[in-house]
Amino acid sequence: MVSQNELIREARENGMDLLPIDKDTYELFFGPQHMATENFSIILKMDGHRVVKAIANPGFLHRGFEKLAEYRPWHTNIALLLRICVPEPDVPEAIYSMAVDEIIGWEVPERAQWIRTTVLEMARVSAYLFWIMGLSFKLGVYTAGQWAAAYRERLMALFEQLTGARVYHIYTIPGGVRRDIPGDKWLRQLKDTVEYIRSKLSDFDNLVFENYVAHRRLEGIGVMDKKFALAEGVTGPNLRATGVPYDVRRADPYLLYPELDFEVPVLKEGDALARALIRRFELEQDLYILDQLLEMGPPSGPYKVEDPKLKNLPRFKVPAGDAFAHVESTKGDFGAYVVSDGKHKPYRVQIRGPSIAHGVRVLEQLLVGARIADVPVILMSLDNCPPDIDR
Amino acid sequence: MGEVKWEREQMLVDKILEKAPYAEGKVRRERRIEFSIPADRIRDFLMLLRDNDFELMLQITTVDWPNDGELELIYQMWSVTHRTHAMVRTRIPRDLDKARMPTVKDIYPVAETYERDAHDFFGVYFEGNEKMEMPWILDDTEQGLFPHRKDFDMLTYVKKKYKLLDRFDEDKDNYVI
Repeated sequence: MVSQNELIREARENGMDLLPIDKDTYELFFGPQHMATENFSIILKMDGHRVVKAIANPGFLHRGFEKLAEYRPWHTNIALLLRICVPEPDVPEAIYSMAVDEIIGWEVPERAQWIRTTVLEMARVSAYLFWIMGLSFKLGVYTAGQWAAAYRERLMALFEQLTGARVYHIYTIPGGVRRDIPGDKWLRQLKDTVEYIRSKLSDFDNLVFENYVAHRRLEGIGVMDKKFALAEGVTGPNLRATGVPYDVRRADPYLLYPELDFEVPVLKEGDALARALIRRFELEQDLYILDQLLEMGPPSGPYKVEDPKLKNLPRFKVPAGDAFAHVESTKGDFGAYVVSDGKHKPYRVQIRGPSIAHGVRVLEQLLVGARIADVPVILMSLDNCPPDIDR
Repeated sequence: MGEVKWEREQMLVDKILEKAPYAEGKVRRERRIEFSIPADRIRDFLMLLRDNDFELMLQITTVDWPNDGELELIYQMWSVTHRTHAMVRTRIPRDLDKARMPTVKDIYPVAETYERDAHDFFGVYFEGNEKMEMPWILDDTEQGLFPHRKDFDMLTYVKKKYKLLDRFDEDKDNYVI
């Protein structure tokens, strides 16, 4: 019987570069087809099952959104930019609309503010459930992942009633929202859904967040401290897991958030477990915020500004100027910088995604020394959105 | 009116301008301030901002102004302590051999990624940043092509790239329908 080494030697003699058997390390291409990396690619240098060096290799999803946005009228960009982050498409809509509102100087009506806040919080709950699904699959707890997907489906159905679309909502527009909420029945259904998801949180706790095996898999890997996180531009739950209580909803309040009561959970460990627990706590806070919004009820009044400009959208012009708007997403601090030169199309749109900081340099540094089995877990604990890196 | 309403922001701007006489600064609105500085002082100024509790660099935005022959670089900074967003604007020539900036990756390590982004799409060269290869743009893209510049004609590029050669008239260098 021919040994494996002989086979390899024979292959190498025939000009095939298979395995560098004379070296201690070898290269492993991880993704973009690998389901654990979610359309993202990492080139790993391995020594046995340890990662020696990691190089993030983005660019597989690049579709040039920012350039395309310069070629399209103001309102049609909503349908383009929301594709930047699929689990949470309402955030790019909201930041773009808020920046345009600021350039024009529009005061968004109270009803539109209420609807925007509700939609953003629904998107957060939905994105966290999506993340629980991803984490559970990577930990091997498939049941929890399937539950999360099923509960998220309820929110998708509500989004469909509200906007007419399940995933890509195209709902928040400059000046308000595209159409009014369907009515009291929808509000009751949302209340029921919030109650339902809250009643199921303990199941997730039992299966994932208080599970001994999950803790052993998450604890002590991908550790970063406060100083490192700030220097590397980390935001959102990943930053709060290192002990910095920075939340855009509190630090730079927008919409109805100054009137709402919620906590910003902070942990100090900075490892994958802390990041996972922060997200679990935030899911609970988001449900609490939705409770308050439903109790408050939508204020009466128009759902978008009454401006003759909005009558003829293709000829819609925005006065010259620039603005930066940002909101808190489940991934972190999501911002948009919009420049107008007074014409029908934006002069420049720049989206500041949190994943560009998390997914390139931070990931490369956190993966060093990790075991190959921990690579998907660290990747998932950072909660990257690859299309946001490849805008 | 701004002085009374946004006192905290004005005090912050004054405090920074005191140490950086080369800069111009103003308050845009609540929690938004803005500085304009010459390109060669960018390192001094960002070091000053870092020492004044602007911990996070959110992004480096580049805007192309071909009519002025300039590229504008905007460093978007956030202070967790002061809860304030600062834009640091600077302008550099648009010509490829002159579009050079000193790197700030030793001051804010995350700047390395944003500088690669600016190099990729606008052709700004950051001196001192070793990772100036192209991470985002595909390997088969023509070299020396910077797609976010205003003179990059996307339509012609796409037509050429996905060459419908039977419809492309090489004499006219254009697409014939």
